[in-house]
Amino acid sequence: MIHFDNVTKTYPNQSRPALESVSLDIEKGEFVFLVGPSGSGKSTFLRLVLREERPTEGRILVAGKDLAKISNWKVPYMRRRIGCVFQDFRLLPNKSVYQNVAFALQVIGKPRKFIRKVVPEVVDLVGLEGKHDRMPDELSGGEQQRVAMARAFVNRPMILLADEPTGNIDPATSIGIMKVLDRINRTGTTVVMATHDAAIVDSMRKRVIELEYGKIVRDQSRGVYGQAY
Amino acid sequence: MRAQFVLQEVWTGLRRNLTMTIALIVVVAISLSLLGTGLLFVKQVDSTRTYWQSKVQLSIYLCTATSVSPRCLQSGPATQAEKNQIYAELTRLQQVEHVYYVSQAQAFTQFKQDFARSAFMHLVTASDIPDSFEVKLHNAQTGYNVVASTVAGAPGVDQIVNNTTILAKFYRLLDGARTAVVITAIILIIAAVLLVANTIRLSAFNRRRETSIMRLVGASNFYVQLPFLVEGVIAGLAGWLIAAVLLVAVKTLGLDSLQQYFPYNVQLSLADLIEVIALAMVVGVLLCGTTSFLTLRRYLRA
Repeated sequence: MIHFDNVTKTYPNQSRPALESVSLDIEKGEFVFLVGPSGSGKSTFLRLVLREERPTEGRILVAGKDLAKISNWKVPYMRRRIGCVFQDFRLLPNKSVYQNVAFALQVIGKPRKFIRKVVPEVVDLVGLEGKHDRMPDELSGGEQQRVAMARAFVNRPMILLADEPTGNIDPATSIGIMKVLDRINRTGTTVVMATHDAAIVDSMRKRVIELEYGKIVRDQSRGVYGQAY
Repeated sequence: MRAQFVLQEVWTGLRRNLTMTIALIVVVAISLSLLGTGLLFVKQVDSTRTYWQSKVQLSIYLCTATSVSPRCLQSGPATQAEKNQIYAELTRLQQVEHVYYVSQAQAFTQFKQDFARSAFMHLVTASDIPDSFEVKLHNAQTGYNVVASTVAGAPGVDQIVNNTTILAKFYRLLDGARTAVVITAIILIIAAVLLVANTIRLSAFNRRRETSIMRLVGASNFYVQLPFLVEGVIAGLAGWLIAAVLLVAVKTLGLDSLQQYFPYNVQLSLADLIEVIALAMVVGVLLCGTTSFLTLRRYLRA
């Protein structure tokens, strides 16, 4: 599903590459944790998959397509097949839960009938039954993240990228978030989650890829956060 | 539903920076109405000019019994033989397209028409108005000197009047006014372009959350840009509507009042007005549309 072939990314005006000679394969339906300290290249990895950045060297395939060969105007269509969740939720404050999720479908031109049918299902799936009309500022952090996940998942993407989704959420609530991610993963969606949260990684026992200074230092199936723990 | 969604986005956008939107509409309205006024001026000048150029450009007034110029006093009123001689010479010239003879009676009728409301009307009689040869030239600019010098010294000729020089002053005034209006319009259009760019940039900044999410979930560039584009075009159209009203006023209250200074019809037709207003719309929409499009390309680039 995601294939990195000797990928190096150096940002302009920086001597050390953010990612250096990274090669890896993530299969369809996998759940992968991306761990490592700040600045180790986790975010760069996710941005490369989204083609928000282009690699300095190497080749990236997403769903069998070479990202270097996708023309600019086709990038949006590629992104429709990738969902994204962030630490800061990125909801629209003036739209309700329902509207926030529907927005993702409206802007890609889905018919109203389809939106009316699909959005309530997904909002319920992430555990927000009966809260469709709440505004984001009436929700807890955990609930807001659920809205963000519903929005990322509503178009049934092949891949879900999550950048520190539990970073702003207390541990007890984080468990609920992980359950939703797990549920999404079970529908066949590949999930890649960058995180600092050792407890979560340890409890899930999924594949762990650890980055340090832009290099893969560990790639372990059913791994834990780090040797120290 | 797509249209409804886009319009909803546009409406929020316009409302959010209301002051900029109003400023934009006003500047577009003023620049378009000035541009339109300039165009109406051009048309007005052309309409009077073509009238004159299609008519007589040269009047050769003949000596009458009451003429007071030294030459006429010396030779007396033009005889029929002299008139025939002058007519023959004029028609022989290749610069001349046509020669009309206007008798004293005809000239008097025209005079009465043109000066109907004058106080001295009752003092003038038919014999006070000279008869004349009205000459139409192939080319008013080049033909005048040749024709004038040919008949200048001929017996019976009183005065030769170049009608185009009489009008020249008037046209110079009108041309000057037109140039001033067009230059002002161009300056204002530049201001309008900058304002459109600024308004759209502000609008894009206000909606950066929305646009970043749109890009994230894979909205096509067209879909991301469309609300802004429509926003610019709507502001342009609103400005144009105001300009259209102003242009109608310029024609009916301004230019049409010129009519009283002309003995013939110089009023611009409704078609002329519609043409100018339509052109203003095209300019307004293109101006706002392309400016917002180009601004967005720089601002929303991935």
